Amino acid sequence: MIATILPLIGRRLVMSVLILLIVSLLLFLVLHVLPVDPAAMSLPPTATIADIEAMRREMGLDLPLPQQYLIWLSHVIHADFGNSIHFRRSVLSLVGETLPATIELAVLSMIIAAALGIVGGLVMFHVRGSRKEPIADLGSIMLLSIPEFLWALFFILIFGVALQALPFTGRLDPQFRLPQGTGFLLFDALAAGRLDIFWSAFKHMILPCFSLGIAFSPAIMRVLRSSLIDVYQEDYIHLARLRGLSERRILIRHALKNAILPTLSLMGVQFGILFGGTLLVEVIFSYPGLGNLMVDAVRNADLPIIQAVGLAYCVVVLIINTVVDSLYLVLNPKLRVR
Amino acid sequence: MTHEIERRTLLQMLGLGVVGSGVFADSLVAYADGADAVTIGWPSDVPGWDPNLHFTPDAQPLYKLVFNQPLTQAPDLKLIPNLIAKWEMAKDGLSLTAQLRDDVTFHDGSKMTADDFRFTFFERLKSPEKLDIKNSWKKVKDIEVKSPTTAVMHFSAPYPTAPQWLAFLGSYIVPKAYVEKVGEKAFAEKPVGTGAYKLVDYQLNARSVLERNDKFWGPKPAIKRVTFEIIKDPSARVAAVQSGQVDITVNVPVREVTRLAHDPNLVGEINPITRVVLLQCRNDQGFADQNVRLAAHHAIDKAALSKAFYGGAAVPLSVPVTPGTPGALPDFKFAYDPEAAKKLLAKSGYSTSKPAKITFGATNGHFPSDFDIARAIQQMWKKVGIDAEIETIEYSKYFQLNRGGKLPDATLYSWDNATADPEIFGGYLLNAKMPFSAFKDPIVSDKFGALFGQTDYDKRIAGYKEAEKFAVEYGATIPLLQSVVTVVRKKKLSYEKFGNGWILANTMKWG
Repeated sequence: MIATILPLIGRRLVMSVLILLIVSLLLFLVLHVLPVDPAAMSLPPTATIADIEAMRREMGLDLPLPQQYLIWLSHVIHADFGNSIHFRRSVLSLVGETLPATIELAVLSMIIAAALGIVGGLVMFHVRGSRKEPIADLGSIMLLSIPEFLWALFFILIFGVALQALPFTGRLDPQFRLPQGTGFLLFDALAAGRLDIFWSAFKHMILPCFSLGIAFSPAIMRVLRSSLIDVYQEDYIHLARLRGLSERRILIRHALKNAILPTLSLMGVQFGILFGGTLLVEVIFSYPGLGNLMVDAVRNADLPIIQAVGLAYCVVVLIINTVVDSLYLVLNPKLRVR
Repeated sequence: MTHEIERRTLLQMLGLGVVGSGVFADSLVAYADGADAVTIGWPSDVPGWDPNLHFTPDAQPLYKLVFNQPLTQAPDLKLIPNLIAKWEMAKDGLSLTAQLRDDVTFHDGSKMTADDFRFTFFERLKSPEKLDIKNSWKKVKDIEVKSPTTAVMHFSAPYPTAPQWLAFLGSYIVPKAYVEKVGEKAFAEKPVGTGAYKLVDYQLNARSVLERNDKFWGPKPAIKRVTFEIIKDPSARVAAVQSGQVDITVNVPVREVTRLAHDPNLVGEINPITRVVLLQCRNDQGFADQNVRLAAHHAIDKAALSKAFYGGAAVPLSVPVTPGTPGALPDFKFAYDPEAAKKLLAKSGYSTSKPAKITFGATNGHFPSDFDIARAIQQMWKKVGIDAEIETIEYSKYFQLNRGGKLPDATLYSWDNATADPEIFGGYLLNAKMPFSAFKDPIVSDKFGALFGQTDYDKRIAGYKEAEKFAVEYGATIPLLQSVVTVVRKKKLSYEKFGNGWILANTMKWG
């Protein structure tokens, strides 16, 4: 199996480098045609035109565009994204500080989306052909049509304001300080043996993760239901039934295992969209991740951050897609046969 | 033939989804308001903790807790001593003698002296670091240290507003020995100031936690622990104060203030501050004609804008200065008069059937109801014969568009001046040599420019009053409203109101 997966990862890596180069070029070009002058932005409003011109030369903005791109790219290859215009700090340190929070949020949200999607898909499959089917259909369409930020506001009103059951700002209660470590708060809290911090972090993640998870679950539900309907037409299901296997065993051991594959592919694609969807949810829940940083960057026309965050999104999505494709290969023996 | 999953199987699977619901049983959040702690829902994070580095106005109430400025302002905005006990400006405006307090220590226990003052406002400006205060103190030629508590600032040109700048953006005394020992970067990570609070925890874009400095040289604050929760979304700030997750918050929509005021545990306030909302005008293109500019001004019903968008709390302005400040002209009124507007337009050959065409820029979301105000003005103009095409501009791009001569003919703009000095109102907004001014006609610009070197305070203020009136009557600016800051707080929490909108935690107390 490893012999099959390694070449795939190798091909993916080569492809990823190409994709990253294209994305970096697009990011660079798009941001450089915007009517924004990074030199002017990096100086206080009281700066003179001479100050700005000096800064333009210092930043290399007077050079031809291809040369500027190559200089920028060579810095990026050496992990130097420059300094933020707004924060006047290394962009890499800012992205490094915020990326783990967003990955943690996105992964937990995806787990919730998968759990809700699979349970919902099973329910929809269960009620197919019955009088409950239109209701289940309607429910899934309604879920599909509500975006994540509306769920976020809805949850804040219900669980935050009305019931006052869950916190909805930040990552931790005010009495706690972030434990040193990887930036993945749940992991760091456990590694430090601080269950109180773990619990506080977990509570802070419930509402943002459910907002994202619920918004992304209906597509999984619908694909799983369709896959199950297809799988139940296969001969091996009929044979299993003739062998006297229980419906539960048929579902879990035979049908679900095969029907889950298209769902897995979909989840791979959805993770990229969900990762982008963290942007608004992070702002609403004051969650200090990459999305929140990006919103600041856009507001302040902080081009170095926008470029770095754009690339960071791209890298994460490429990694996840490679992982999902490898998983697909592991779970589907047919693909391993040439 | 249907192949149903057994109901029991399904229920078992569904059960997985609700396992853990029990864990919520003990998760009810208790938000008790402690007598010595306060949580503030703040709309934006500090860009960093080096107070000399950034001019960000929203960050000043945070910096003022950890650091101190040489001078400060009373709630009525009068300039008062702070780290400087006494000061004297030379008559020629070329030097300022400062007598520093001798009882001030930094958080690390070291004593604050005139060397720190010199370091902050002179030596530090020579570092390669891109400090914003380099710009405000570029006239400083040298700072002479006469004793540990006496320093004389020497300027290369008269600097009559130096005292105002000692209490304004970025002017905080930092410890020379500590900064030189740990370096600029480490200083920003672990700041040491002379303020009433020490920074104990900072999480980027999430929160800043401050603890009372028990060795503070000034009055001891009532609140021991202050937490700034960074909540950028206005709806989330409303929810946070309503749910008790924060004790006080600012900049929430006006309609929410009105709604939350009905909550028996909350108080909603709409406080006018030293911020003006105005139209920055060009003197060319669609606004080259003075008749069109003046007509545009006469056509705007400012009282209606205030009523519609600020619950009537924003005071209509006739000059770009807020009421009650030194440059205010309470007796001067520029009338709302649509008929006069039509007559002025007719003089230039325009009417409702043949409207004057202008471009009109507005931010969307930079200050409360900005874009809605722009649309309302567009409708008011349409009625008299001005056809304005609105374009949205980012606030951060204003300077750049202005420098490149690409601003629209009129731009809805918000201008904050915590000092309340008229130079930092009209002087900065209408002196073409400043990067803020869109109106480049020397007839107006020179009037303001000449006052920058005026060292006689009374003459300076009188000069600004005259120049402001002239600028408005010339159509160089269209002041609209005195802006407001909205505050929602728990009823038991009180704080001192400042005319410039500062919300300072060291003035807060429970009870």
